Amino acid sequence: MSQQVLWEVVKGNNAFLVKRNGLTLSTDPFNNTGVQTYSSTGFISKNAVGVVPTSGKVNQINNINLVAKKSTKFQQVDRKAKNTQSVYASTLAVKHGVHTASRVIRKRFGTSRVGLQKAALRKLVKLNRANSVRRRNELAAAKAQKK
Amino acid sequence: MTSVPLVSVFSADDSSKVTAKHIPLPAVFQTPIRPDIVSFVHTNIAKNRRQAHAVNPQAGMQHSAESWGTGRAVARIPRVSGSGTHRSGQAAFGNQCRKGRMSLPIKVWRRWHRRVNIKQKRHAAATAVAATGIVPLVLARGHRISQVPQIPLVVEDKIESYEKTTDALNFLKRFGAFEDVQKVVSTKVVRAGISKQRGKKYRVRKGPLVVYFNENAKLLKAFRNVPGVEVVNVTRLNLLQLAPGGQLGRFVIWTQSAFAHLDKLFGTYRYSSIIKDGYQLLRPLITNPDLARIINSNQVQEKVQPAKTTKVLHEVQKKNPLKNTKAMDRLNPYAKKQRVAAAAAIKANTKGTKKIKKNKALKKASRAAYNKVAASLNDATKAAVQEEQDIKVKYFSVQKGAAQTE
Repeated sequence: MSQQVLWEVVKGNNAFLVKRNGLTLSTDPFNNTGVQTYSSTGFISKNAVGVVPTSGKVNQINNINLVAKKSTKFQQVDRKAKNTQSVYASTLAVKHGVHTASRVIRKRFGTSRVGLQKAALRKLVKLNRANSVRRRNELAAAKAQKK
Repeated sequence: MTSVPLVSVFSADDSSKVTAKHIPLPAVFQTPIRPDIVSFVHTNIAKNRRQAHAVNPQAGMQHSAESWGTGRAVARIPRVSGSGTHRSGQAAFGNQCRKGRMSLPIKVWRRWHRRVNIKQKRHAAATAVAATGIVPLVLARGHRISQVPQIPLVVEDKIESYEKTTDALNFLKRFGAFEDVQKVVSTKVVRAGISKQRGKKYRVRKGPLVVYFNENAKLLKAFRNVPGVEVVNVTRLNLLQLAPGGQLGRFVIWTQSAFAHLDKLFGTYRYSSIIKDGYQLLRPLITNPDLARIINSNQVQEKVQPAKTTKVLHEVQKKNPLKNTKAMDRLNPYAKKQRVAAAAAIKANTKGTKKIKKNKALKKASRAAYNKVAASLNDATKAAVQEEQDIKVKYFSVQKGAAQTE
């Protein structure tokens, strides 16, 4: 379905829309900027990657999931796929570090949509930093407990 | 659409099993999405469930109030007749008065219902059905469909024979629809406002809509106690259920026969509807609404001129070439050489000129003279200081070891 047409339906009101303090924000998982705009609203586009924090176990290195938007002809779940699949997204846990994740993002966007790519990368880096701080604190706490 | 999208029918018992692999999508799902039609029809149709109400026609008017007229130093509003109570002499009847009747009291014969042209209603229903097959719209409406195996979700007719709510619940869980039901349960809120005292205590969200076909289906009873779930027959699809609140994209679960009936119900682009007499599906104004694709297509790109680069013709802030050497050089490339030559010339000149030499000599002489004077002054001051010291020593026996005084 065309992104333009969907935008006309969705821009006025949608489940992810949050209007606060004069700002028009979005909780869309495919939106990496947080602001609702035509280009950043990923759930209506064919090609989008969402960088999503997840609540993981203590020892999990990265609590980040990459949620890649699917644009399939059959809006069906591919059961044979390795990643967690849903009708609209395939989820990839960021396990092997930020660099591989950034590769995935770059590959997805290629040379087009540089703005979106940058937004995704920026969010990835921020989440990663937050994670490392959290992990450092957790390790320190674990150490203190041991003592 | 050149190729017709296909849809699988799932087995009711096992969500991983597919009973019918590729069924073509009914033409309704290709209808152009027209939120304007839906919005218009919805606002009008939503009024049709209203029950007449009115204000008591005598409310506020049950007085024999009369205006006191002018000359009594009071406003001319009708006043309650009689005496012996606070109420007497108080204003009455007007909408602005306390205990007066309201302005334009509501009458029972107010026009509560709206009629909408049949064609519009049908177009709206068709669009709403189409929207239920578009994932982003279902997401935008707020349904939780991350576990659902397919949209549109078509299931074999077996669910029509469900009688027990347990069966219904398990079915929903199997097909990932339970998440939506859970959302409904967890977001049940006590309604704000007086309505809660009038039998509408809770505000409950909408969950999945189950659409069946066979009239003697028992699933209504199975599903009706599941919060948020609504059950409806295909022949009686309701815009208020397909697009609640005028918002497109309800999460719908179709039974196989209901799904197959849609072509008969709405017709296709090849034949008009069999059931809705003379109804033809709406055709899109633009067959290919994907602007990005049009712009990037070969046909357009061939004709289009190459993209202009933003060329800066001049600097953003003007620099004065008389003061700014670089700006000058940009305008006159020879200026640099001129400057160098001039500087060299000045330097050469300063070395040899008579006048300059004379000045130099004078300077030297004057400096020498000054130094002489300064030196003699220095000596004088030194001598003076020494003399003062001697006097002090001589007459006031200040240090210098002069012990006795006379």
